[in-house]
Amino acid sequence: MTDISASGSVAATGGKDGTGRTGMNGMTPGVRIAFLCVLVGAICLALSPYQAWIRTWPAALTLPATEWIGAGLTTLFEFLKPAARSLARLLEYPMAGANRLLVGSPYALTIGVFTALGWHIGGIRMAALALAGLGFVLASGYWIASMNTLGLVFVSVPLALIVGGLIGVLAHEICSLRRAIETVLDIMQTVPTFAYLTPLLLLFGFGPVVGLIASVIYAAPPMARNVLLGLKRVEPDIREAAIMNGATRSQQLLLVEIPSAGRQIMVGVNQTIMAALSMVIIAAVIGGFNDIGWEVLLTMRKAAFGQSLIAGVVIVIFAILADRMSSALARDGKRHSWKVTASILLAAVVIALFQNSALPAAQDFAAFKSAAAVIDRSLGAFIAANGVILDGVKNGTMFFVLLPLRIGLEKAVLPFTWGFQWTTGISIAVFSIATVAAIVLALRNHAVAGLSLLIATGILVTGITNLPWPFVLVALGGLGWLAGGTKLSVFAVSMTGAILSIGLWEPALLSIYLCTASVLICVAVGGAIGAGCAVSENAWRVMRPVCDFLQTIPLFVFLIPVLMFFQIGEFSAFLAICAYAIVPMIRYTHHGLTSTPDELIEAAVASGASEWQVMREVRIPYSAPTILLGLNQTILYAFSMLVIAALIGTTDLGQQIYLALGQGDVGLGVAAGASMAILALVADRLIQGFAARQRHALGL
Amino acid sequence: MRNFCKLGISTCLAALSAASLHAAELGATNEPIKLAINEWTGQQITTRIAGQMLEAAGYKVEYITAGYQNMWQAVAEGQLDAALEVWGSNVTDQYRQLNAEGKVEDLGELGLVAREGIAYPPHVAELCPGLPDWEALRECAMTFATADTIPAGRLVDYPGDWGTPGADRIKALDLPYKPIPAGSEGALVAEFRASAERKTPLIAVFWQPHWAIAAYDLKFVDLPEGTQECYDDPAYGPNKDVTGDCDFIPTRVFKAVWPGLKDKWPAAYEILKNLSLSTEQQQPLMGAVDVDGKPTEAVTTEWVRANTDIWQPIVDAATK
Repeated sequence: MTDISASGSVAATGGKDGTGRTGMNGMTPGVRIAFLCVLVGAICLALSPYQAWIRTWPAALTLPATEWIGAGLTTLFEFLKPAARSLARLLEYPMAGANRLLVGSPYALTIGVFTALGWHIGGIRMAALALAGLGFVLASGYWIASMNTLGLVFVSVPLALIVGGLIGVLAHEICSLRRAIETVLDIMQTVPTFAYLTPLLLLFGFGPVVGLIASVIYAAPPMARNVLLGLKRVEPDIREAAIMNGATRSQQLLLVEIPSAGRQIMVGVNQTIMAALSMVIIAAVIGGFNDIGWEVLLTMRKAAFGQSLIAGVVIVIFAILADRMSSALARDGKRHSWKVTASILLAAVVIALFQNSALPAAQDFAAFKSAAAVIDRSLGAFIAANGVILDGVKNGTMFFVLLPLRIGLEKAVLPFTWGFQWTTGISIAVFSIATVAAIVLALRNHAVAGLSLLIATGILVTGITNLPWPFVLVALGGLGWLAGGTKLSVFAVSMTGAILSIGLWEPALLSIYLCTASVLICVAVGGAIGAGCAVSENAWRVMRPVCDFLQTIPLFVFLIPVLMFFQIGEFSAFLAICAYAIVPMIRYTHHGLTSTPDELIEAAVASGASEWQVMREVRIPYSAPTILLGLNQTILYAFSMLVIAALIGTTDLGQQIYLALGQGDVGLGVAAGASMAILALVADRLIQGFAARQRHALGL
Repeated sequence: MRNFCKLGISTCLAALSAASLHAAELGATNEPIKLAINEWTGQQITTRIAGQMLEAAGYKVEYITAGYQNMWQAVAEGQLDAALEVWGSNVTDQYRQLNAEGKVEDLGELGLVAREGIAYPPHVAELCPGLPDWEALRECAMTFATADTIPAGRLVDYPGDWGTPGADRIKALDLPYKPIPAGSEGALVAEFRASAERKTPLIAVFWQPHWAIAAYDLKFVDLPEGTQECYDDPAYGPNKDVTGDCDFIPTRVFKAVWPGLKDKWPAAYEILKNLSLSTEQQQPLMGAVDVDGKPTEAVTTEWVRANTDIWQPIVDAATK
């Protein structure tokens, strides 16, 4: 569903030059950094029992930044409020108009118009899709709520397209602003929406306008990125031809460059529509109008899984229709017969005329009530029958994976979990073994691997949430330097340092832990599934709709079965994050492995490589940059899911954002949102840096 | 339960006698009064009944869906005119602040007698004999322990943004339990459902009136009686060193309005001020919606039609 080449990913930045890299022999930068990390880690471990400040940042040094931000923003808002309120009033007109049009039109007419449009752009398949999809929406009884939602999307998408398009053109025209604009786009996409709902409420006042603005903020960046990318890729010959013909700059842009960037821009349109739809449910948290997102929230509150699944499927249907229709528009293929289009429209008008007398009203449909009840009953029966197995899975994962990662082996290994008590002696033994292994690896010319093994051992024994902050900063700085030189290193350290100094370190470490655990699983499982799909075409045919479904259904819907299976707690949060973040890993692995140029594979086969050898020696190295981007997206997805996982009772940054939203605490909301964005951005920049290096090494 | 009945009826009567004092101007009847519809059924029932009373008095009413936690700025600015079922136990600090500044008006109690406590499904009594007495929880801690909480027992607490009453009780009563914040109401209900299906141990902070109390036949643990003294005086209660070592004090459920309501729609202000709904009146309506699956509008319209004798005097007193 999402186009991989341009899926609203955070732009590639970072490492462009080889920062004084020496050869693979002697003390390479990698070895030096790894060695430094080991050293700092060891010192911290040795000192931390005596020096409390190593484990916890001293309270005296914590800046009351959340209060400052709160006070500063509130003052600023008082100043901006009149303008914002007038804008809100202005936006109410198109919203009311779209709403009246969609809710007021007879449903038969609306369905007919969409079916006719489907026929016109995509023939019988698209028409059938539109008819069946909207038919389901009508039968579910959510027609009016859906039309309220659609009314919002009808206004927010054009707005986001205009805003995004202008940003993209601006970034293209003024090169000096490009970097700054790209950073702003990154921030727009990584700060969780929940974090800025409270400030938006204060500024624009209560109502659907807040949802509208939030969805424009979130949906504009894909458009901007694709416009910029499209304009950059316009062939120089075309550009020059325009100049030679004496076109002014604006003529060049409007008449030549934008039309020739059309295909890429249409990808942006598609992505923007999808992003706007995915915001629907989040905007519903505020309320203001009775939309489909609100319906999902209500059913979620009752833990009525069957009903919430049906409401969720309604949203999936809209997402699929919007995606298929807008990408069909983007492919300028042949248009289908006008006669059929006109007759579908005519039929719709005729049915609409008789709708009031002959057909039931939109709100009287309730076709899936019994289906919902059946789903709920079978869910209950399944839990009752498999409770012991489910508990076993949960406890096993908790005891042997999650707890060690969070609090470290030294605290997680207890007689009633692992069967024995962890002692200092065991710690010493483990570290000695790891050191010996590291030395052996170093002697065999794998110094980085050896030192990384030591670091990993240290992290596993101590636990992510107990990591000393000096170690985290040094390690991030070192990774930054390796991936993108001094600039990235300074960025990583100063940004992470900011989280430390505003006193959100503890929840931030919890977020890192939850993300690390889920990303590890996503990489292992998602990578394997992606590879399987790359080998077998049939497997991909099964997985593709599953991926589409996972990405577009409101994530809230999943929380209920996960909770029923595994109860409130970290394991449920972990699973919910995995379910969402695994998708990019599957998609990118599949895409990377299948897009290896045929010449390369043929060359390998011709030199007698077996299928497995082709995979290992050609496909995997060639697709490494793509897979790394998949990892990058997986991390960003995991971070964005943290806020939703807060509804299952986590205690990390996501929960802080949620608390702030509940309490109307602007300062905490913005600070926690910014911290989350910082973590995501640092991870993003590091991986982009390494991906750029890998591409460079492959000569791409 | 006996207590509640008495209290419920007496508040109802008090409200009725207050209602018969004086009549007021209708005010701006051409503009709709905007009532907040929050996320839970009880509130929606209360609001729909109030709305129909206002309509009977000659007003236009608009129902606007609003997130309970995020609506207070809107009430302060008159974008929402009234929120008719506000629970003291989980109202946000923002409300308290706006109320203290005089930007949101507290219109008095609704009449619901709310109870909060530590609840459990009936099969749990077999797993931890000695319940409902709270002392039994001490011996049963390991029964309630899970992977996240071992060696302490697990108590599911309110979602973090509602405060941490469960954690406070455990600490004050010095029970070997670890509170796990629920995250959302849906998560709490899902816990009860799963526990009932699987017959697994569970204790969680919960409240009534709530449809799940009847649906899963939930019971409350008998904690030492919750009184104001207990929350003021450390010597009171089993733990002599701390306050709050006892049951929850009944939650105040009240109505809150935009302060401009009084001048713009004087009679509506009187009606809402005297609006009263008891637990016994609300609970069957909640069951009809959440258990039988009927629409809230239909259930409340039916109730309003059948119970003119209850609400008509309030409307008449304000308008005639």
